[in-house]
Amino acid sequence: MSHHDTKERDYVLSVLAQNNSGVLLRIAGLFSRRCYNIKSIVAAQTEDAAHSQMIIVVQGDDRIVRQVEKQLSKLVEVEQVTILEDRDAVVREHLLMKLTRTDSTSAQLIAVAGVFHANVLDVTEDQMIVELTGSAQTLDSFVQACKPYGIQKILRTGSMAMEK
Amino acid sequence: MLLTGSQIIMECLLEQQVDTVFGYPGGAVLNIYDALYEYSDKIHHICTAHEQGAAHAADGYARSSGKTGVCIATSGPGATNLVTGIATAYMDSVPMVAITGNVNLNLLGLDSFQEVDITGITMPITKHNFLVKKIEYLADTLREAFRIANEGRKGPVLVDIPKDITGQKYEFTPVPDAPHHPLSTEQELAMHLPLPKPAMTPKECHLKRALKLLSESERPFLYTGGGLIASEASEEFARFAEKLDAPVAASLMCQGGFDQSQERYLGMLGMHGTMTAALALKHCDLFIAVGTRFSDRVICNSGLFARHCPIIQIDIDPAEFGKNIDVNVKLGGDAKEILHILNERMESQPRPEWMNQIAAWKQQYPLHQTTKQENGITPQLVLETLHNLANGDAIITTEVGQHQMWAAQFYGFHRPRQFITSGGLGTMGFGLGASLGAQVANPDKKVINVAGDGSFHMNCAELSTAVKYNIPIVELILDNRVLGMVRQWQKLFYDYRFSQTTLDKATNYEMLAQAFGMKALTITTKDEIEPVLKEALSHKGPVLVHCAIDRDINVLPMVPAGASAEEPILEIKED
Repeated sequence: MSHHDTKERDYVLSVLAQNNSGVLLRIAGLFSRRCYNIKSIVAAQTEDAAHSQMIIVVQGDDRIVRQVEKQLSKLVEVEQVTILEDRDAVVREHLLMKLTRTDSTSAQLIAVAGVFHANVLDVTEDQMIVELTGSAQTLDSFVQACKPYGIQKILRTGSMAMEK
Repeated sequence: MLLTGSQIIMECLLEQQVDTVFGYPGGAVLNIYDALYEYSDKIHHICTAHEQGAAHAADGYARSSGKTGVCIATSGPGATNLVTGIATAYMDSVPMVAITGNVNLNLLGLDSFQEVDITGITMPITKHNFLVKKIEYLADTLREAFRIANEGRKGPVLVDIPKDITGQKYEFTPVPDAPHHPLSTEQELAMHLPLPKPAMTPKECHLKRALKLLSESERPFLYTGGGLIASEASEEFARFAEKLDAPVAASLMCQGGFDQSQERYLGMLGMHGTMTAALALKHCDLFIAVGTRFSDRVICNSGLFARHCPIIQIDIDPAEFGKNIDVNVKLGGDAKEILHILNERMESQPRPEWMNQIAAWKQQYPLHQTTKQENGITPQLVLETLHNLANGDAIITTEVGQHQMWAAQFYGFHRPRQFITSGGLGTMGFGLGASLGAQVANPDKKVINVAGDGSFHMNCAELSTAVKYNIPIVELILDNRVLGMVRQWQKLFYDYRFSQTTLDKATNYEMLAQAFGMKALTITTKDEIEPVLKEALSHKGPVLVHCAIDRDINVLPMVPAGASAEEPILEIKED
């Protein structure tokens, strides 16, 4: 009997597909009907307009992710599916966050942003919008660090990944 | 040549050597039907009573002939009526192209009359589907649809065509030998058409491992699925089984893939498999699966299936490796080619001891003979008589339920494409439509649809189609006046609470058949079985045979849900 790693974790899949209308729906539909968990999905046209590249973060064990890979490969518009391991790829995520700002917290917030190399994009009397690009863990830490000051809204893109 | 979109559709069908289509006209396909009128000497169209019947007929045509089945429906309800038929074909990997009309391009997305998003609806039940938005793409899209339907693991493809595209004119360039003519990558990308998937071949290291396991095995067990028939691998497989000297069991989808009169044939494996197959599974030391997806109806309890021995799996779909069952050796690719390679590299390996054991089990555990009788009539007797009268050569289609299992267990199939049944989806109402398609594809064969009274009522209006086109099928109804299979489960697991399964319909089958304009016969006693079936088989047109049976005949053996496939029960005790 072959044995599988049954520990659940996040896997990053890079999917190259034809850039046709409905292709995202076909891929998302496959995940929902086969009960796979999508944590995030990023999709956009590649350097060539005929193709679309998707980075999908899936939660599951080794067996599930191999199934996901093979089922995705069967979609006729999908040309390539790669499971990206951390060591083989650069993985980045982008975050926009709206924070509550007061005169007394402003300097501290800017200092926290500075520590994480986050950019301040917009400042008004009572709020501030910051952006940060980094690993999911860095983004998580940044969010934690900002929490005490009051978070109004968070937008995250989900992971993008590029094979080295 | 400058042709309308509808004429282009006809030309593309002819390129694919399609001479028969099944369908139903309507507003959005008026242009297509106008072209069918023009091409009626080249393309035979059969108009069914309902689009579902057309989809099942195209399916039966494909399964019985190996060719691609084609069905046509109008937009909206026409298209949605195909859905069950498409899903049936998808689950059983049947090559089919469904062409649907849609509203004009400028009306798409506006909730127009008879508009439905059929590409959205059929996404999970097709290999792929297309909405053709430009006449330039029409011909190549249709060619691609046929390619995809037949590439690798086969399946249905739907092409949705807005009405105005079927009326526009465009220059049509015929492609000689279109079924084997691949478009260039540039052409495909320019038209947003998918690229072919590379064909899979088994890895040398996997072949070596398989050959080693095969030669070391003392008690190998061969198990075949529908993939064996799809890849036309029966001859190669028979040689393999002979060389390996191993017993053979088949899934429901592979009835006839291996000649069932052979000594080494054990019957089905799984929920309604034979005791011998279960015992062979339990005692084998190597399990070899050919073209099968380890359906839950076969493996029963995945945690308990063949845990004691290595498994070699041959399949064309890599996603089937490790989907339901972990296997030790994966041979990916076309079953016929892989079996050929194994045959070439394998010596004959006689295993007299194992085969003697198998023969002893077969003797000890013959298939269940029911004791419940109505005037001496049992389904087993009816089906065995039918087999003998038709020289075992007839094509059997079925509906879904007890009669389906009895047909699989008792008819005795000798060749592939002889048994046509909805295995994966389990579609009641499939058989009659499928029998029409099978009969049209095989005018020289007798085609018999074995039905239950429940399934019969689902799509019985297709009898009118059989009469209209004089398609000489035999509709054999084994009438127990209940939904027998569900009733059987209610006996086992619901304490005899027969909720909604006692049909007891007042339908007079003979009168109904006559109302449709067809001959009807009745079997009321044991002595009538043979003469009535003989008369039905020799009748030149469609004929209905009504045969009442007892309502408490069970399908046995049976592996109850959750139990091991090695331990079927052989009887259900009645109070």
